[in-house]
Amino acid sequence: MDAACVRSWLGEVAVRLEAERDFLTQLDAAIGDADHGINMHRGFTAVMARVGAAAEDATPGQLLKIAGRTFVSTVGGAAGPLYGTAFLQAGEALGDQASFGPRLLREALRAALEGVQRIGAASVGDKTMVDALSPALGAFELELRMGGSLETATSGAREAAADGMRATIPLQARKGRASYLGPRSVGHQDPGATSTALMFAALAHAALADRSQRFAGGARRPVSGP
Amino acid sequence: MIQSVGRAARILKALGSESARLGVTELAGRLGLAKATVHGLLRTLEAHQLVEQDLETGKYRLGPAMLQLGNAFLDNNELRARSLLWAETLAGRARESVHVGVLYGANVLLVHHVFRPDNSLQILQVGASIPWHACALGKAMVAYLDGDGQAELLAGPLPRLTGRTLTRRAALEAELEAVVAGGVAVEDQEAIVGEAGIAAALFDHRGGVVGAIGLAGPVERLLPGGPAADLVAAVKEAARGLSRELGAGRPAVPGAGA
Repeated sequence: MDAACVRSWLGEVAVRLEAERDFLTQLDAAIGDADHGINMHRGFTAVMARVGAAAEDATPGQLLKIAGRTFVSTVGGAAGPLYGTAFLQAGEALGDQASFGPRLLREALRAALEGVQRIGAASVGDKTMVDALSPALGAFELELRMGGSLETATSGAREAAADGMRATIPLQARKGRASYLGPRSVGHQDPGATSTALMFAALAHAALADRSQRFAGGARRPVSGP
Repeated sequence: MIQSVGRAARILKALGSESARLGVTELAGRLGLAKATVHGLLRTLEAHQLVEQDLETGKYRLGPAMLQLGNAFLDNNELRARSLLWAETLAGRARESVHVGVLYGANVLLVHHVFRPDNSLQILQVGASIPWHACALGKAMVAYLDGDGQAELLAGPLPRLTGRTLTRRAALEAELEAVVAGGVAVEDQEAIVGEAGIAAALFDHRGGVVGAIGLAGPVERLLPGGPAADLVAAVKEAARGLSRELGAGRPAVPGAGA
C-alpha cells in the first residue's frame, strides 16, 4: 500500500461514515450522548479536507498523522482523542516509508490499539471500540502467521471487527458514559465498536482495490504480494 | 435478621442487576436456594407487584411497584428536592449539564441531573453510580470527610476508568488538599475520555458534607487550559446558596470563601 491507497482508504471511510451517520447517532442515543455519528462525520469531513490539501508527495505516515491531529482538534467527546491518538500512533509506526506491506501495517495497528488503551484504559469486553479493534488486530496477525497477504489479512480483520462489534450487544458497559447506565446498557450495540468495524471494512476495500489496480496496471504476477 | 426478607431482597437485587429476565431455576442457582423456596418468594413479591412474570417465557423481571419505590426514594431525598432550583439556575448560567450527587460507600450516586440547555438529545443519568475518585462530585465530598472516612476510601479499591484516572493514594491526597484550598474539585477526563467536571461540596447545618453539585461537559469547554474561571465561580455560588438553604451557617461553611 502507498500514499494513494491510504488516501483512498480515508475517502472510503468518509463515504461510509456519511451513509451510516444517522445509524451511529441512533446507536449512541440509546447508551451515550447521541452525537457519535455527527462527531465522526464532522471529523472525517475535516480530515478529508486537510488530507486533500496535503502535499502530493506526503507519505502514508504523514497522511495518517494529519488525520489524527485533525481528529483531536475537531471532534469532541471521547471519539476525538481516541481516534485521533489511534491515527497518530499508526502514522508514527509507519515512519517515512513511501509504501508499506502487511507487516508494517500490523505494527501500525498495534500502535493504534496501544494508544487507544493508554487513553481509555479499556479491555476487550468493556463494550468499547476496543472490542472491535483488538480482535481485528488478532485476526490480522493470525492471517500473516499463516502466510496470508495484505488482502486476506485486512479481510480477516474486517470480519473479526464486525464479529467483535456484534458481540458488544449483550455486554454491560464498563467504560465510558454507557457504563453509568449499568445493566441498561445491555442489549445495545456499542457505537464506537461500530465505527471501528466500519473503518476496517473500508481498509479491506481499499486493500482489494489497490490489488486490482496493480493488476490492471499490467503487471502479471502471482497474487501473493510482498 | 429475618431470613426470608433477606432472601426476597437478594432476589430483587439479582433481577435489578441483569437486564435479562431470570427464571426460577436460574435464580435458585444464583442464590443457592431451593427452587420451591424461590418460587414461593417470587409469588409473594408478585402479589405486591415488586416482580412480574413474563407470560411467554415464564421468566421474572422487576415489577411496576419498583419504579414507584425508586421515584419515592428520589422524591424523599431532601437534597434533591432542595437542589432543583439551584441546579436549573446553574445549568442555565453555565450552559452545561449539572449533576447533584451523594456519597454511597465508595460511589457517587447521582440524585439529580439537569440537561445541558441546548436542545440536544441527552440521557438522564439520575441513578448512575460513579466511583468517587474518578469524578469531581466525589472528590469534592471526600475532601471534607473526617480523617477516618477519608482514609478508608483512599485505601479502598481505586479502579482505573480512563488513562487519566488517579489511582495512587498520594496523588489523590494531594488532589483532596487542592479541593479544600480552592473550594472546588476538578475532573479532567478521569471518568470518561473527553469529559470534564467542576464540582463543590454541599454542607448542612452541622457543617457536615451532605452532597455535591457540579457541572459535567466537554473538556475543551470546561477546562480550556485550566478550569474556566466563570464556571468555577458559578459552581461555587450555587454550592454556597444551596448549602445556606440546607442550613449551613454562613461563616461556618468550609471552603466557601470567595
